Amino acid sequence: MRATRAAVGALGVLAGAYGAWLLLSRQDLAQLTNAALWLASGVVLHDFVLAPVVLVVVAVVARVAPRHVQAPAVVALVVLGAVTLLAIPVLGRFGARPDNPTLLDRSYGTGWLVLAGITLAAVVAGALVVRSRHRPAVPPTERSPRGPRPGGG
Amino acid sequence: MKLPTPPSDEQFTSRLRSAAVAARIGLWLGICFGLAFVTGVISHYAQNHSQPIPFPTSPSWGYRVTQGVHVVSGTAAVPLLLVKLWTVYPRLFARPPRGLRRLAVEGLERGSIGVLVAAAIFQLASGLLNSAQWYPWSFSFRSTHYAIGWVAIGALVVHIAVKLPVIRRALGADVDDTSQDRPNATRPGVLSRRGLLRTTWVASGVAVLATAGSTVPLLRNVSVFGVRSGDGPGGIPINKSARAAAVTASAVSPDYRFTVAYGDREVTLTRDELAAMPQATRSLPIACVEGWSAGGSWSGVVLRDLLDLVDAPRGRDVLVVSLQESGPYRETVLQGNFADDDRTLLALRLEGEELAIDHGYPCRLIAPNRPGVLQTKWVKRLEVQA
Repeated sequence: MRATRAAVGALGVLAGAYGAWLLLSRQDLAQLTNAALWLASGVVLHDFVLAPVVLVVVAVVARVAPRHVQAPAVVALVVLGAVTLLAIPVLGRFGARPDNPTLLDRSYGTGWLVLAGITLAAVVAGALVVRSRHRPAVPPTERSPRGPRPGGG
Repeated sequence: MKLPTPPSDEQFTSRLRSAAVAARIGLWLGICFGLAFVTGVISHYAQNHSQPIPFPTSPSWGYRVTQGVHVVSGTAAVPLLLVKLWTVYPRLFARPPRGLRRLAVEGLERGSIGVLVAAAIFQLASGLLNSAQWYPWSFSFRSTHYAIGWVAIGALVVHIAVKLPVIRRALGADVDDTSQDRPNATRPGVLSRRGLLRTTWVASGVAVLATAGSTVPLLRNVSVFGVRSGDGPGGIPINKSARAAAVTASAVSPDYRFTVAYGDREVTLTRDELAAMPQATRSLPIACVEGWSAGGSWSGVVLRDLLDLVDAPRGRDVLVVSLQESGPYRETVLQGNFADDDRTLLALRLEGEELAIDHGYPCRLIAPNRPGVLQTKWVKRLEVQA
């Protein structure tokens, strides 16, 4: 077991070193500096901007939203938040070019509204189903084996 | 309200931030990164000039599938990575251990995690931007994305080797198992662990459905964030327009001549002469490195017939030269097995109509199982290599 892990780890180090050599040997210093800036920015933006923002948003939801709305709200936040983040390049149409009408040729704002509407509707429907199931029983316990269900999709 | 400024991992008390959750999301994240790595290496190799092992010409839709998988797995990985990082976020604030030896070991491990996180975020972000043709950087996308791909997969393999006992215990036990949790991570979350996992799978699924229509025709109407709707002349979108390639004049000039050369033999043809040669029709996809693809019915001259005009032997690489005067794909190398394939055409028509100028009028290369950037448009010259 230990030997296998060491061998696998060594393989990983080897692959990583090959990547580092590829990175350093194919471009000039200005390009490498720019790549390093992008590599570092991703970590910094995630760890010190996005993650704290999520902490604050979840804290706000926990404090402001009524108890039975919290789970659906978090589900909607995770789904919509993640998908919106990865749609930033198309939502902003940053790569659009006047000479190419086949590129970025959808109305992404409308698409986002539709997606948000469907997500919210699905989450609300899921929450209503969960509520109606739980109503006749004793109040839902925190550690019920299946836990509150997220609903939606 | 007060902003949380966490000085230590002990302040993160949610029982959702557990190895049981991280390992389950990590498993799928690893699968996505593995798929993206393998298909990325395939794509890189397919674009190499020199191919010691010839890249196969069959199946004709092979590159369409591998590059589609590449972009889809990368897209699916975005929600997975976000939630995975959320579950392990407290570790960022873990106090360093006492003792030089343990400190060094932990330093190494955290260093490798730092490399992994930086590489993973970089790959997903740069890939997403590239697929939307947004390049707000000065490094070479192809070189850098390829190199960091190796770094990411290497760091991932190291991470798996380091964490293997934790992963095995976590995946072998129930998701609500707490044996590997931090001691104070006991506060019930808004969701259950299963609820968080299901939400993550849904987010990943929605991400794929919302974008994959650029390469999966069935999803065209569903993919609200598809970079391309699939519309374009002849039902095929355009990557580089004639205007961007600065060929709007030369492509329609009456002086246009097509030349095929081998050694000191050269044959020059007008477009009418090309159109008068025996024509063949082939159904072949255009599959772009940016991840979009579309199938088309192309008509034109079988490329091998043109090479026969100058008695070029079989198996020779062919330099394909475009009318465009600059750009990395002005000249491309068509490997011998592609040049000899009966399906490889110098296409003059698409879907029964004259090729649109943005699709490469007067003629373009179309070969099976080949990255779109190498399907050279506005072809003016074929040079059979010695």
